[in-house]
Amino acid sequence: MIEKWRLLDTGLDDAFYNMALDEAISIARSEGIAPNTIRFYRWRPPAVSIGYFQSMKEEVDIEACDKLGIDYVRRRTGGGAVYHDTEGELTYSIIVDDAHRLISNDIQETYRTLCSGLVLGLRQLNVPAEFRPINDIVAYGKKISGNAQTRRMNTVLQHGTILRKVNPALMFRVLKVPSEKVRDKLIKSVEERVTSINDVLKRDVSFRELKEALIKGFENSFKIRLVPGGLTDFEKNLAYRLKREKYITKEWNFRR
Amino acid sequence: MGRAIYKVKGGKMIKIQLALENKKIIKDLRITGDFFLHPEETIEDIEKALRGCSLSKEELVRIIKETLTSRRAVLLGASPEDLARCIIMAGGESD
Repeated sequence: MIEKWRLLDTGLDDAFYNMALDEAISIARSEGIAPNTIRFYRWRPPAVSIGYFQSMKEEVDIEACDKLGIDYVRRRTGGGAVYHDTEGELTYSIIVDDAHRLISNDIQETYRTLCSGLVLGLRQLNVPAEFRPINDIVAYGKKISGNAQTRRMNTVLQHGTILRKVNPALMFRVLKVPSEKVRDKLIKSVEERVTSINDVLKRDVSFRELKEALIKGFENSFKIRLVPGGLTDFEKNLAYRLKREKYITKEWNFRR
Repeated sequence: MGRAIYKVKGGKMIKIQLALENKKIIKDLRITGDFFLHPEETIEDIEKALRGCSLSKEELVRIIKETLTSRRAVLLGASPEDLARCIIMAGGESD
């Protein structure tokens, strides 16, 4: 019998709920009341997320975000600041018990294993994807996916982005740059270092097609079957609470 | 207040903000950046442990390593030596 995991597609939500739901599912998993899960989601309004150890004020142009209607949120995972465009990006999360065969004590190794599902999925689409340590996936040497992991309560959460379209100019309107003089240079360097599915394939790839390819990638790479499911009431209620009490608060978002 | 930014070769970015006492003892510091540390709260333990510490690379590395060991924490994308180096850079910028 092939091992079954739950597949969630929670669609479009705001940044605070999106981060709260990743944590709520992780807690449910750790309490044994949710199965191993892969979730797809997107961000509306668009948002910037920063890593656990980053400073919101140093990384994010708050004023520009407020003006553009872009949310900003601190993640519970480390890593860098990311601009999440509503149309330009698909986000996934993997929530799995840390005793699972896919999880190693070695965090670097676990990134490689969990990213292999994405790599295989992208290759299904004919994107020549490869894992690049520490936590990236690249195509033709350019970054196409960034990933971040945390481990708590015997549960691993890995979430990450897959770029469908990329807009470096907008990225640097919302992320802080050392000075205006280097803004154009940074935009250029992102154009050289970052790519997207649409850029690589030179056509418009729908979210649906992308998700279908990734599902196959995860299933084949992890030797699992993904069964479409829904959130439990426990997860929904906890996510609303975590959004309200944690992810939307200044204490959390500006703590560093 | 001293500040420094250090990009680890093949790794992540470290940013340090620190205040010194008598130009050589760490009064307060904040470590930020895009590295990984599991469990994440260990960063606060490291910051706390480094208060009162002098700006000697050996001492900084020893205290960071001790804190990591006692919390069974794992640092990824930067090493204790990288953190120490950036702290000393920030110390040099401090007045």
